[in-house]
Amino acid sequence: MTIPMVSKLLRNHLRELALNDQRIDGRGRWEGRDVSLEVDILDRAEGSAKVTMGDTIVYAGVKFQLMTPYPDRPNEGGLMCGAEVRPVAGRNWEAGPPSAESIELGRVVDRGIRESGCIDVNSLCIIPGEKAWQVILDLFAISDDGNLFDAFALAAIAALKTAIVPCEKFEVGEDYPLSVSKTPIMCSYHKVGNRFVYDANAQEELGGDERIHITLGDDNHVHSLQKGLKGIFSADEFAEIMERAKIKSSELRKLVDSVLGD
Amino acid sequence: MGGYGDIQMIDENGLRMDGRTATQVRPITIETGVVPVADGSCRMTWGTNDVIVAIYGPMEAHPRKIQRQDRAVLDVRYNMAPFSTSDRIRPGFNRRSREISKVTADALESVVLLELYPRSKIRVEIEVLCAEAGTRCVGLTAASVALADAGIPMSDLVVSVASGKVNDVVVCDLNKEEDNYGEADLPMGVLPNSGELVFLQMDGDLSPEEFQTAWDYNIQAASEIHKIMVESLRKGGVD
Amino acid sequence: MKARLVARLDNMSGNSSADGPQDSQIVVPGDNLGQFGRFEAGHGVLIKNNTLLATKNGKLMIDDNVLSIEPLHTTYTPRPSDLVIGYVEGCTNNIWFIDIGAPFNAILPMSLGPSKASFGSTRQVLDIGEAILCRVQEVEETHSSVVTMKGMGLRKISTGSIDEIDPHLIGNLSKNNNKLLREIKEESDCRIITTHNGRIWIDGDVSGIIKARNKLKNLSKNYNLLTDGGNE
Repeated sequence: MTIPMVSKLLRNHLRELALNDQRIDGRGRWEGRDVSLEVDILDRAEGSAKVTMGDTIVYAGVKFQLMTPYPDRPNEGGLMCGAEVRPVAGRNWEAGPPSAESIELGRVVDRGIRESGCIDVNSLCIIPGEKAWQVILDLFAISDDGNLFDAFALAAIAALKTAIVPCEKFEVGEDYPLSVSKTPIMCSYHKVGNRFVYDANAQEELGGDERIHITLGDDNHVHSLQKGLKGIFSADEFAEIMERAKIKSSELRKLVDSVLGD
Repeated sequence: MGGYGDIQMIDENGLRMDGRTATQVRPITIETGVVPVADGSCRMTWGTNDVIVAIYGPMEAHPRKIQRQDRAVLDVRYNMAPFSTSDRIRPGFNRRSREISKVTADALESVVLLELYPRSKIRVEIEVLCAEAGTRCVGLTAASVALADAGIPMSDLVVSVASGKVNDVVVCDLNKEEDNYGEADLPMGVLPNSGELVFLQMDGDLSPEEFQTAWDYNIQAASEIHKIMVESLRKGGVD
Repeated sequence: MKARLVARLDNMSGNSSADGPQDSQIVVPGDNLGQFGRFEAGHGVLIKNNTLLATKNGKLMIDDNVLSIEPLHTTYTPRPSDLVIGYVEGCTNNIWFIDIGAPFNAILPMSLGPSKASFGSTRQVLDIGEAILCRVQEVEETHSSVVTMKGMGLRKISTGSIDEIDPHLIGNLSKNNNKLLREIKEESDCRIITTHNGRIWIDGDVSGIIKARNKLKNLSKNYNLLTDGGNE
């Protein structure tokens, strides 16, 4: 990804807005953009979701493959999660091998899901030591207007929750829905104009500083954290956004539940 | 052919497995402006194909060695999302995608007024989210709509459609099964206003008569598809 | 067989030119706009085999006997004497490179800069990331352009905010003696300068800037709606 020139005027303006408790698009400090979540929209994927957050649009698709379990874990299947931000998503994204930014995106989302334990890897085993399912979650951005992290994480968990294990296709029994026991949700906060805000858009990302990503489970347990970009933050600042993340993640979890109808 | 000859894909009434007649095209929708951050964009669904095209530019061509002093270059990238097919596609370099990107660029370069933008490039990003058969046709058709949406000057749109042969019957717009088990495939890119061609491929086995029928089916279908393209552009991306 | 292979498409687009082109109709690339002679080709119209063809998606404008297309979407193409807002993207000892939203960066030579700079001190005068109000002085055949800051009101922009809209919408803001623009200025109590490359400088207090920005955003949306409605 090419890093575009950052306008000094934009940085100044964001600082001035922050002093007046305002944001560049008129939102409140902890207010997210409108979120829409659609599931089961891609015919070829075993599970899929599309998330729109303002002008940020991403897809997630789940595929399954048969694998031989690792010798040290003969009773476990696998989960693989990768993000790809292709040049379709914005003029700064480039073709070629995945950029560091893409890889970070994929890994942070992966950790949140993996560590929440929402997928029981033992249930993915078909014949111990011989055959198991590998769940492959691909995240795909169509339009990047900031905060791909949260959009990807939301699409990821929703896609997994709609996934059907394609046993018939692989001739290992009958199809059944993938069991996803928890709903880990990521909330991202960007330092913009010297204060953290939730769900930064592209302008705020460009004119802002560091970002912090928090993935929380159903019971507010912390499953993954990531601090990105240049910047320094205090323990108090972190405590504040952690409290905010608890509120926001439960809101988003309700959205997932309502879309999936359970 | 290939041991699949016994699969019956056309019934006694001449209807295909999905209920279409020989000349009938799968349902098509086109929507412009779907990638808000792009200079122009379009989503086209065609049967269960789902393709998104975004346009960026014209912008300075980098690296400098790809610059043309007298015209712009089209930087076309056709790509299939990993989850777009029944077996997952590994991301990364792919000969098939490269070839399709190239023939798509060749086709579009014949209609885009490139000489207006010397030393520039126009990026055409074609992403297949869901593939059924005929994705190269969908990609090319959608790319021409997206270019128009981006305000890039063109002498015409491009309509691309394929006909082929299944169980010795020539049919238009092959679906997945017909594409897999059929005996021939003839994709074409037609300029709807002049009837000229900018894209042509073919593989399989067609008699001269069958070839002519497939050709005529394509031309006929192109006219129908063009109406949908025009309709989507007249809406201007606004509902 | 050869002869039969010629693809014949009669009135394929369903857009017959028999009635002639209609003012304000939305056209798409390739639309036949009638024979050359009856009309002349303006912006976005191409003459091919003595026929006028639309090359852009946009609103057809008939002015006397000239057909032109007002595109629905545009990117900025610099023209001499355009007032533009640019960002300093880089510099050498005696030249600044200015992003003016066009395909190519413009050049601002030291001699046309805002104040006297000695060779090698360009960054002290205008640093990377700073914004300037400047004028296009010259556009070369290859689309490279030179901008100048010599002229009334041209200067470095160091306060307020810069917003962007599609360049072709700028003209709409200044229609009817700047009616819309004056409205926004009065309501927001801001200084607002619109430029040809679609960038708009809004200066005032923060609440005013927010007001003006929201107004502009709505306008840019509604303009599209208006264009769409004009087609009915």
